[in-house]
Amino acid sequence: MLKIVIDGKEAEVEEGLSVLELAEKIGVKIPTLCYHPAVGAYGACRVCIVEVIEKGLSKLTTSCTCPVESGIEVKTNSEKVKKTRKLIVEMLLARCPDAKIIQDLAKQLGVEKTRAPQKNENCILCGLCVRICREIIAVDAVGFANRGNKRKVTTPFEIQSDVCLGCGACAFVCPTGAIKIEDVEDKRKIDMWHTELGKVKCERCGRYFSPVPLLEQIKKKGLREMSDFLGLCPDCRRLVLANKLMGREE
Amino acid sequence: MKKVLIVNLEKCVGCRTCELICSLTHERRCNPAEARITVIKFEEKGQNIPMYCQQCETPVCEAVCPAKAIYRDSLTGAMLVDTKRCIGCRMCILACPIGGLSFHPTRKEIIKCDLCKGDPACVKYCPEGAFEVVSLDAIGVKRRRENIRKFSSYLDMMTGGKE
Repeated sequence: MLKIVIDGKEAEVEEGLSVLELAEKIGVKIPTLCYHPAVGAYGACRVCIVEVIEKGLSKLTTSCTCPVESGIEVKTNSEKVKKTRKLIVEMLLARCPDAKIIQDLAKQLGVEKTRAPQKNENCILCGLCVRICREIIAVDAVGFANRGNKRKVTTPFEIQSDVCLGCGACAFVCPTGAIKIEDVEDKRKIDMWHTELGKVKCERCGRYFSPVPLLEQIKKKGLREMSDFLGLCPDCRRLVLANKLMGREE
Repeated sequence: MKKVLIVNLEKCVGCRTCELICSLTHERRCNPAEARITVIKFEEKGQNIPMYCQQCETPVCEAVCPAKAIYRDSLTGAMLVDTKRCIGCRMCILACPIGGLSFHPTRKEIIKCDLCKGDPACVKYCPEGAFEVVSLDAIGVKRRRENIRKFSSYLDMMTGGKE
């Protein structure tokens, strides 16, 4: 067990946590955009910045990438932190003036308008979609391209991805909602990834319910005898099972 | 103690109160689309079957989840979705053979029966008292078996044992 001080309160925690995880555990709120418990920390959005005092020396660091060490003191809301966090959010607001989560964060921190030249982006380049796709879905369909102010998230060569499953996890986790998924009848379109995937038609009701590669991926996992219901949409699965209970084949 | 929700199909009248109360307890809105339970009706036979997550012993949803966000609640034995860990890939929905999970129509969240922390609202509010929560010990298993047997004999009676 490690003993640390956070916002003046003493806390005891097990080893291996980051400062952000510790704060969440003991109920201290630190704002963050790019942290997700399912993947490794990346420290991209910088919003979770805190002041860490170790051996009398103070430093500012992102709490998601800072491991908890014995004897450190953490200030999550000191003047220094507040000032820096405000600047960070001000810059994020300049990049993504239309993203609701950033607008809310700015309001909360008292940032009224941004001094930096405005852009009209939605993506904050936090790379959460990249990490999810690489570490969890394990297909690595998207990644960062270019450097500096030309940096962006995209598919290799900015063309249709061969490996994308169309699962939509990237859009689900995106903090700013920059990734849009459009389901048009038998197609799933993800404009940001230049990708268009066919969808599977339900054998019973004819509704298009899942992108083809995603269902293939589940088939590959080969769990139990799946073949008889995988072609059905979830609604029809309920109906078919109820029919079976009634002793009827449909 | 592990618990399961069982339904006495002889008692179900298909009023869909369970759907509404489920939605109301979880979402504070009466919307069957947001309910964790769906009643399938067979009007011509007068038979109704509520469908919901069976909290399987070896759940496929848990096995396919790449983010390890689905876990068994140690208190009730219900399979729960850790909404913070969930990455929204919907593989659990596609893998479940009985359609026990669904995606919330407006919110970004997977919804499924969580047994209401061991005290399900559908049990309390079903006007016919068709639902029952039983512990999965020897007695509970026996009750569950009896229930299935009763239902099959009931079907035989209705269809004359032909179907």
